[in-house]
Amino acid sequence: MGIRIRSGMAIVAALALAGAIVVAGGAEAAGWVPKEPVTVIVPGAAGGSTDLLGRAVEKVWSKYCPQPLLVVNKTGGGGVVGATAVARAKPDGYTLALGYGSGHDLVMPHIQKVEYNPFRDLEPVARLSIHTVVVLVPASSPAKNMKELIDLAKKEKRPLTASVGLTAGAVDLVIRGIASTTGIEITSIPHKGGAEAMTTLMGGQTDMGGGHPSEVIVPLKSNRVRAIAIATPDRDPSLPDVPTLIEQGIRFHTWGSVKGIAVPKNTPKEVIAYYADVFKKVCADPDFRKSMQEISQPVLYLGPEDFGKFMVQASGDYGKLVKQLGLEPK
Amino acid sequence: METFQGLLNGFSVASSGTNLLYCFLGSMLGTAVGVLPGLGPAATISLLLPMVHTMGSPATSIIFLAGIFYGAMYGGSTTSILMRLPGEAASVVTCIDGYEMSKQGRGGAALAVAAIGSFIAGTVGVVGLTFLAPPLAEFALRFGAPEYFALMLFGLLLAVFLSGHSPIKGTIMMFAGIILANVGLDPISGKERFTFGFVALQNGFDFVTLAIGVFGLSEILLTLERKDAVEYATTKIGKLFPTAKDWAESRWAIFRGSLIGFFVGVIPGGGAVIASLASYSVEKRVAKNPDEFGKGAIAAVAGPESANNGASNSSFIPLLTLGIPANASTALIFAALLIQGVTPGPFLISNNPDIFWGVIASMYIGNVILLILNLPLVGVWVQLLKVPFGILGPVIVLFTTVGCYSLANDTFNIYAFIAFGVLGYLLRKLDFEPGPMIMSFILAPLIENSLRQSLLMSRGNLSIFLTRPISGTLMALFFIALAVQLYVGWRKRKTADAGQAVGGLTENG
Repeated sequence: MGIRIRSGMAIVAALALAGAIVVAGGAEAAGWVPKEPVTVIVPGAAGGSTDLLGRAVEKVWSKYCPQPLLVVNKTGGGGVVGATAVARAKPDGYTLALGYGSGHDLVMPHIQKVEYNPFRDLEPVARLSIHTVVVLVPASSPAKNMKELIDLAKKEKRPLTASVGLTAGAVDLVIRGIASTTGIEITSIPHKGGAEAMTTLMGGQTDMGGGHPSEVIVPLKSNRVRAIAIATPDRDPSLPDVPTLIEQGIRFHTWGSVKGIAVPKNTPKEVIAYYADVFKKVCADPDFRKSMQEISQPVLYLGPEDFGKFMVQASGDYGKLVKQLGLEPK
Repeated sequence: METFQGLLNGFSVASSGTNLLYCFLGSMLGTAVGVLPGLGPAATISLLLPMVHTMGSPATSIIFLAGIFYGAMYGGSTTSILMRLPGEAASVVTCIDGYEMSKQGRGGAALAVAAIGSFIAGTVGVVGLTFLAPPLAEFALRFGAPEYFALMLFGLLLAVFLSGHSPIKGTIMMFAGIILANVGLDPISGKERFTFGFVALQNGFDFVTLAIGVFGLSEILLTLERKDAVEYATTKIGKLFPTAKDWAESRWAIFRGSLIGFFVGVIPGGGAVIASLASYSVEKRVAKNPDEFGKGAIAAVAGPESANNGASNSSFIPLLTLGIPANASTALIFAALLIQGVTPGPFLISNNPDIFWGVIASMYIGNVILLILNLPLVGVWVQLLKVPFGILGPVIVLFTTVGCYSLANDTFNIYAFIAFGVLGYLLRKLDFEPGPMIMSFILAPLIENSLRQSLLMSRGNLSIFLTRPISGTLMALFFIALAVQLYVGWRKRKTADAGQAVGGLTENG
């Protein structure tokens, strides 16, 4: 067994190494530079919107950093598990959190006790993107816009059902917000993540649902579902024809899911400066921008300070929203 | 005609030098990670993703990644059969009779039949993928929460009778599995359950630590206990290849397993697991000597191993035709495609025919490569049994420990693994078969989720399970199967010696 298994391991290692050598490119020679591979923790499942963002970064990473980037998916607790792992990691610049500003950082702390404090345990580095939430109905639904959906709910005299990835997740907040603003009753059906929720929506098992553009683009293009509203204040550049809730007279919006990079607290300033610079270059890279367009995620870079300020504001707004929706702990 | 033309084009894509090479590399690597306990195809694909961006064409990278995925299904049976170490959920069933065969010196035959069965089922799966993909994808979409609930409940029933000896002990083990599966965060409300304040328990237990602890580590503890502990399973190797009798007993099992695997695998979620369970129970029903099951029946290896391979191929159907990844590995392939600007889904076949047909054609080729690769390896793997236990035992413990750690880079998994090893040892001392526990551990969260989703949808009305056509049919089959099983048990007790074959458990798992 020894020899066989070792040779198996060796194949994996050799191929991984070969990949690393192929992709490792030119080095940067200012201040701190990583000397070993950098791990970025994605607090969600493979194929999800945050994971896709990570893969897009990974694709161009070698142009700006001499060390390879290891994307590690650490799922569980709606993102808390992955974020906690970074919060507890050594502040040495070799562990980064991706998706800083998602529901587990901005929403969940207002609802329940989480294992880490997104502001005291983590330090913002850069904002990469904001994922809006698209409100969807299955293709079989008679509703073409929000008004028709509300009429449908009133006519059917039963609560509508909504596929959501996670209780109190980005989509669930929007669904609850729509229900409380319009006065119709909607029952959220939580799933194990957005992909599963999308499958039941495509099959017409529920009346409505939602998701980030990168998760809904395939079912949208193939006319399995219909987009009827955008839940952020502005329209989404990847779906320019879909009006916002506010445009349709529903005075409700969220900040969507903010996707940034963070490092553990007490990480040296020059390390943060190094990564802020790397991610600024990544965000300007034409290949990265092209990938981001393919996966329908807007590139919205902010540096460490601006991103930190933005996080404080968004967290405050989400706190108010949670209170308004009656989700706060009793 | 279009299909044939497409397939022909696909073969010209797949048989280019680069693509052939990557198909070979992927299959080989997949076999290796399938053999290694702990390291699964999803982790490997994730590690290699940065490399595939530099391969040039998306078709090449997907051919490579798909090869890893289905190659792992071939390799997964090896340690299950030789060492009672299931590499992944769909191979748990293989541990039961496969390891018994190894003990009897028929490990070579078990490995060979698993490889041949995998080849046949893999090929059936790709042929089905070629011709039936769109209608089957539509069918999979009709599975909502109530349908999942009915299907998984059925799986749970099949799991109870996995042990065979005592349905009561099987039921106890089933509940033990359900309780273990409940440890962690409530999937709907996010509240903690059975964590006793331990943060590490919030994530619950991992299937791999449970399966290789209860099966594999306990086997090592039991071997240590024997005074003549110089050998692991046996030093007797016997014939490497199946005899004519073995072949006669397994060929229909392979055929049935291929079909079950193909159809059940289309459903996202627990497809491959349910497929292997269903195949096992079907084989037990149709066997001339059902009593041999659990004691080294070759059909009990051939059927489920074929079924999990058929399922791995058909899980590409929802990915390629709807853009829905059915499991962690296909989710990573989905991500790889999107990043390279290819959208998997209904338009793949018209927008990127070279990818769609190239990948399918490469699966035909990959299956042949895997058979050629695996059959000669049977002899090599079986030689492992000759390694003295003093060396083999510690090496197994070392690799499984590393495997458990690498699941989430977490030492907690190592402690859990050791605890499960001790648990497995005690259970087997008390003559409890751990199979049903592991199966119900896998199925319980799926059942819980679908039950709660269904009841949310119906506002607490249980009739939702009976009024929908698919779930209604499945529930009816479930109750018939349960009634038949209870009746058989009752009659067996009444006429203890009349071991007549009885018709029974329905085959439509």
